[in-house]
Amino acid sequence: MASTQHPSNSSKAYPGHVGSRPRQQMLRWVDPRHKSAGYLGFIFNRVAGIGLVLYLYMHLIVLSTLTRGPEAWDGFVAFAKSPLILAMDIVLLAGLLGHGLNGLRVALVGSGIAVKQQRTLLNGVLVLAGVLLLIGGALILVL
Amino acid sequence: MQQQRERYPDDSMRWIGQSISGVLLIVLLAIHMIAQHYMVEGGLRDYEQVMVWLRSPWVLAMEIIFLGVVTYHALLGARSIAYDFGLPLAVQKNVNRILLAIGVVTFGYGLWLILTIYQQALQF
Repeated sequence: MASTQHPSNSSKAYPGHVGSRPRQQMLRWVDPRHKSAGYLGFIFNRVAGIGLVLYLYMHLIVLSTLTRGPEAWDGFVAFAKSPLILAMDIVLLAGLLGHGLNGLRVALVGSGIAVKQQRTLLNGVLVLAGVLLLIGGALILVL
Repeated sequence: MQQQRERYPDDSMRWIGQSISGVLLIVLLAIHMIAQHYMVEGGLRDYEQVMVWLRSPWVLAMEIIFLGVVTYHALLGARSIAYDFGLPLAVQKNVNRILLAIGVVTFGYGLWLILTIYQQALQF
């Protein structure tokens, strides 16, 4: 079974590789030069994942408003309809779609399924995420 | 090398867990987005609509499962990122302990929140 590391990496980049210094690993991780499209997709998943973890905790804080009664929640709902929050909702949707669909691709390729078609899969993910973002983003603005 | 071999079966199980929880999250999140945002005029339920929605025990169960799966997936992902940086084994163990503690607190707080709101919904 493959690790969470993208298969296009060298064995030196194995997660938890004990031999390298953390700083070197970090620099390799964030350096986009000489990286394949698949690897960049893998990095995108990591970055989007960090953003989504932060959002998870923000979402829990927002939901706690419900325990303070109708006035507190309905006040938040009114605030959430401001253009800035709607724009952030679209960014959030982009992160969710990208992370979710690209995560499926990483899981398939990491399982040894469709390894040779990973470029096609990546293009498919980009197209599907783009279409769903257009529909979902339009609905956020229209509703 | 021995250290890597010893960890390998656990890492495989975690990778499978991350993949399965990820697929589950896509389904749960799609239901959540459609029910909580896209089927509601204005994109967000007002207080009364939330209370009516949460009265259902099925919704309660789904929200608790959602909380558990998203917490597991998020913290396992955070662990993978931390491990990408080649941390020494002693640090890895501390990372595991800290993330486990964060996971327990997150799930505990989220569960309290869901059950409190559910009680409010039943009394509404």
